[in-house]
Amino acid sequence: MPKRWIPPIMTLVLLALAGCAGPAEVYRDANMDFGALHTVAIMPLANLTRETSAAERVRDVFTTKLLATGALYVIPPGEVARGISRVGISNPVAPSTEELTKVAGVIKADAVITGTVKEYGEVRSGSSAANSISLSFQLLETQTGKVVWSASTTMGGIGITDRLFGGGGEPMNDITERAVNDAIKKLFQ
Amino acid sequence: MPSRNSFSSLVAALLVLLVAGCAPLRRAAWTGDEAGNAEGGVAILPLQNLSGGTAPVTELRQELARRLALRGMKILPEAQLEQFMARHRLRYVGGMDAATAQALRRETGARGVLITEVELYRTPFPPRVALTSRLVTTEETPRIVRMESVALSGDDAPGLLGVGLVRRPQEVTDRALQLLAEALTGGKPQPIPRVPLGSDSVYLARPLDPGRSYRVAVLPFFDKGSHGYAGEILALHFIGELVRQGRFQVIEPGTVREDLLRYRIIMEDGVSLADAELLFGMLSTDLILTGEVNDFEDLQGAQAAPKVDFSALLLERSSRRAVWSMGDHRTGMDRVHFFDIGRITTASALAAGMVHQAVEESLGR
Repeated sequence: MPKRWIPPIMTLVLLALAGCAGPAEVYRDANMDFGALHTVAIMPLANLTRETSAAERVRDVFTTKLLATGALYVIPPGEVARGISRVGISNPVAPSTEELTKVAGVIKADAVITGTVKEYGEVRSGSSAANSISLSFQLLETQTGKVVWSASTTMGGIGITDRLFGGGGEPMNDITERAVNDAIKKLFQ
Repeated sequence: MPSRNSFSSLVAALLVLLVAGCAPLRRAAWTGDEAGNAEGGVAILPLQNLSGGTAPVTELRQELARRLALRGMKILPEAQLEQFMARHRLRYVGGMDAATAQALRRETGARGVLITEVELYRTPFPPRVALTSRLVTTEETPRIVRMESVALSGDDAPGLLGVGLVRRPQEVTDRALQLLAEALTGGKPQPIPRVPLGSDSVYLARPLDPGRSYRVAVLPFFDKGSHGYAGEILALHFIGELVRQGRFQVIEPGTVREDLLRYRIIMEDGVSLADAELLFGMLSTDLILTGEVNDFEDLQGAQAAPKVDFSALLLERSSRRAVWSMGDHRTGMDRVHFFDIGRITTASALAAGMVHQAVEESLGR
């Protein structure tokens, strides 16, 4: 092969590989000092799925796992509920900046986490079925109401083994735990 | 040398004795009246049914009382207890508040109350029964002195070719009541299954002071599943485990319930710090345990595995913060690698194992 062909071929290979890369799933505010955050409140999550308890289940797992890291203190859900009720937030899954500042003052939180459960439960493709979960979280700094971290994660779904050999994939709770752990990893990376 | 006739007689006598030994033990006749003077005895409250289905609570109570009496427990006659309950319009049998406990002691002489909950009662194959009992004193401040649980299923030990399967519900119920009666009267309690939890399932801010005794109030858990009584069952398992640990003075749930009702404390989505503050003061407690249950399912069928998913939170009075939390999801098949070895057959046993593991590992001495 002539040597002059090597640069264009290499360029094509690099472009092809770049095309395989997934979209960036994490945003971090470069100016934010995450070490200054000690106490966070996890707001009720938005539920875009048909499973009515999906948001509460994910919030419960996220609260326990985040607390178990020992890096942040998570305000108990009952105290968050009191703050929401006291401030009178009409839509706690998407609070305004003003509401956020107020609720953080009531429950004494340094930051607030909001999120969305986009997918939760069984997905089907042809004769194959498997459990899948898709989540996104945002960390909002309470002084300004600015989003300082945002991440999304998707776990489960139909893999090649499910297509070839059938089976229902992993149990929903295992997938939820993996997805939550992935999101926490992205927060501390 | 003995003669042929005397040898035959000896063999016959031995055979008769052997056959007599194989005969099932006849139930010793016992009625509540035979308890006689119940001064200083135990009042066995009617059973609370938390199974979500029907259960023969009257028969279970009578049988439990009979077995306890046979093991030497002095029982308050049923008629006397019924009169007391009618006089005081006592309808809630899941706990004992201080005023009722004192009245019971004053009017009947009973020094203790046995409060029993039916957590599970299923008769289709495999029959399943789960019971929890606690012995509470009738002192000025009721105190839990002993708490035991038993959970059995007809397919706990199927053995080779299913020879160990128990198909008759009565057999499982009798065995469960016998184990419970033995455990409550100083016998060996039913072993708690070992359920390893994930390393990231438990959070402990700092170890509790090993030299100190803590007063703990356990609030009913929020049941977010479909069981209906799972919150109360989980709270009972935590109470039992904390009592067994020995370092915690667990406040009788009846007292906690009475205070929650008296001060009209309604908790939405968990206990808030304001509620906790009030409860710390009212109950003079150091710690408050609360939580929520997402799943508590006993699926019917020989191979069906129970499912338990819950989280718990321990709030401390001095720091007004959560000092311990845990959350996990387990099924009865998690420990099984082959031949169903390690299978847990009831949600009650699974929950007991999870609670034991979490408390023992992080809050035990």
